[in-house]
Amino acid sequence: MKNSLFENISAGSFTIILHVALFALIFVGIDFQSTTHVTAQPKVDIVQATAMDEADVLAEMTRQQEYEDDKRQQEQERQDKIDKKFEQAEQELEDKKQEIVEQQQQAELEQQQRKLEAEQKQQEIEVLKEQRKIEEEKKQQAEVERKLEEQKKQQAEQERLAEEERKQIVAEERRAEEEKKRLAEADRKAAEQKKRDAEERVRKAEEEEKEKQRLAKIAEEKKKAEEKAAHEAKVKADREAAVAAKLKAQRDEAAKLLQDSLDAEAREQETMRINGVVDKHVSIIRQRVKRYWIKPSSAERGLQSTLQVSLLPSGEVKVVKVVKSSGNILFDRSAENAVYKASPLPVPTDPKALAKFKQFSFNFKPE
Amino acid sequence: MTKRWLTTITFLGACLSFQAQAELVIDIVGGTEAALPIAIVPFGSEGPTAPINISEIISNDLASSGRFDPLPKRDLISEPHEKSEINFKDWRLLRSEGLLVGKVSTEDGELHKVQFQLFDVYKSQQLAGMRYQVPAGGLRRLAHKIADQVYEALTGEVGVFSTRLAFVTEVKGVDGKKRYALQVSDADGANPRTVLQSKQPILSPSWAPDGERLSYVSFENGNAEVFVQEMRSGRRNSVAAFKGINSAPSWSPDGTKLALTLSKSGNPEIYVLELASGKLSRVTHNSQAIDTEAVWMPNGKELLFTSDRGGRPQIYKVSVDGGRAQRVTFEGTYNSSADISPDGRTLTMVHGFKGKYYIAVQDLQTGTLQVLTETGRDESPSFAPNGRVILYATEQRGKALLASVSVDGEIHRRFGESGKDVREPAWSPLRK
Repeated sequence: MKNSLFENISAGSFTIILHVALFALIFVGIDFQSTTHVTAQPKVDIVQATAMDEADVLAEMTRQQEYEDDKRQQEQERQDKIDKKFEQAEQELEDKKQEIVEQQQQAELEQQQRKLEAEQKQQEIEVLKEQRKIEEEKKQQAEVERKLEEQKKQQAEQERLAEEERKQIVAEERRAEEEKKRLAEADRKAAEQKKRDAEERVRKAEEEEKEKQRLAKIAEEKKKAEEKAAHEAKVKADREAAVAAKLKAQRDEAAKLLQDSLDAEAREQETMRINGVVDKHVSIIRQRVKRYWIKPSSAERGLQSTLQVSLLPSGEVKVVKVVKSSGNILFDRSAENAVYKASPLPVPTDPKALAKFKQFSFNFKPE
Repeated sequence: MTKRWLTTITFLGACLSFQAQAELVIDIVGGTEAALPIAIVPFGSEGPTAPINISEIISNDLASSGRFDPLPKRDLISEPHEKSEINFKDWRLLRSEGLLVGKVSTEDGELHKVQFQLFDVYKSQQLAGMRYQVPAGGLRRLAHKIADQVYEALTGEVGVFSTRLAFVTEVKGVDGKKRYALQVSDADGANPRTVLQSKQPILSPSWAPDGERLSYVSFENGNAEVFVQEMRSGRRNSVAAFKGINSAPSWSPDGTKLALTLSKSGNPEIYVLELASGKLSRVTHNSQAIDTEAVWMPNGKELLFTSDRGGRPQIYKVSVDGGRAQRVTFEGTYNSSADISPDGRTLTMVHGFKGKYYIAVQDLQTGTLQVLTETGRDESPSFAPNGRVILYATEQRGKALLASVSVDGEIHRRFGESGKDVREPAWSPLRK
């Protein structure tokens, strides 16, 4: 109507305005003067309005709380800044230390490695030496046995000769007997012969005794050689066992190192796997909370609320705490409500990944 | 072998840094700008049934703002009326941002005791709560007042549900003659009351900043004449009845002056009238152009007005003391009927484009213009006192009616079809 009035005026000229006025005048002239009725609008007032006690108390408490929170937060922030600087310095020192330690560890490890390799070579040489020694001893043993065999052969020859001698003697005796018969009269000769025989027997007996002793001696020597061989075999066996044990220890050590390193790799892979699971669930949780977050229209760029959240293992939201307020109460509340409304949060079932979600933080930003 | 050692060392390092790393932090950036879900439980009642349903009015108010999404009644899991009856755990499952409960009691059916409490469901904490005693006739207004408090507690902005609308209706009587009425309704268009009836046109109602007086243009004496009427007593007097046109009154922010369009000099110009003394001062001096529809900037020192001094109607700004006017609108060939947001940052106006007229807003800092409506026959935009909504007049199937649009153009509303033509809306200031 304003427009149309404006349009009328602008379209028109003054004459139209005059016409309207004239027309209106005529119109008024025709109509009753008292065509206008006014109605009063008595005010219906609220008789009494009182704040609900709880609201008052709560408001006062909230104000007090907010004041204290502010103060506390300021102090906290100041303290945090100092702590943070101190922590940073400490962290840097720690990092440097860590780096030196790691370098030393590395050097030591390499040193150990070199030492281990040297030792191994030395051991291999010793093992070779040991084997050569054992072979030498084997050779000596064989020589002893060969000599022993020779002695046995000689002895057998002597015995054979002795036997032949004895047979000759018997034949001679028989011949003598025949001679005695044939030479009956030659008693003296016979007696002499007898005497000679007796003497011969004594000599023979002596010889036999001598031979017996010699054989005994040979047997004794053989026994001794056998005992020596047995002892040497035992020593050799012990030495071989010691070498074998040493080799086994070395092999075990190497195997253990290999196993450790494999375990480390496995752990690293496990950590990566857990991180993957955590990342996936962070993304799902982010989507869900974002969907439930209704930003107040007063949420201006630059606001940020930091919320600390504790979850039950089921993902149900246990506690939400504003740890850093945006300064806009409605913005903070909308963020808190978003987390509560998104409960239960989709947490991983893997216990190691789940542990990361026991307590964590949200940063809410309008854009 | 060395390589393996290196791997081991790297792993150890990784372990250390892993432990030193702070706890998990998840960034949430963005979020939605949806309507806030809210649970509004029907108020409990004691004694004779109240003549109106308070919780229903609150629910309609909040829903109409487009910023709340009241839970459907069938989804309410229980009907508590005060804190002790609320099982917050149950309500959390419904994921409402707020829970409103209350009750009404009366012994004689006249004096009503009303109380309400608004809770943050997740923290089991009361966000707002009041207790009132009102006569039966004040219940509707109280319901709007409670809606305002809920709105403010949850959005941080002032609610305008207990404000009023002024507008002019036109009906054709049995005698074939037109009847005009200046009416005032609740902000939801309900409860209309007539404050002036006339057989002659009534135009341009304008609220005084105290909400207790209205000025308007009436042709009852044959000419466009400006009146000021007190709402409570109905007492009225003519404040401008000069020769020619007396039109487009607008109250200064301090309520002591009116800006007017007068053609007593022969050409429509902007004047400022001091109400107490009747002192009149001329603001514009441009006999070649029409200057009209002045509105006050919130600072009380400048006026915005429509002028065709550049050939086509555009909005200009001028000091109340006169002086050179600055052009404000540049986009398009037709901009008129300005109103300014309470913070003085946003201008709304009728924006003409190819013979059609739309409601548009212009950011006064950036100059960006945004068209908010689509009907093409829109006029008389008026800001809500919280600056969030613009009320305007439009036409539908040949019938004039009122509509509103949020300043972002997202939420559109039409006010009830009464069978009358409704025009010239003006949104009241906040009630004190």
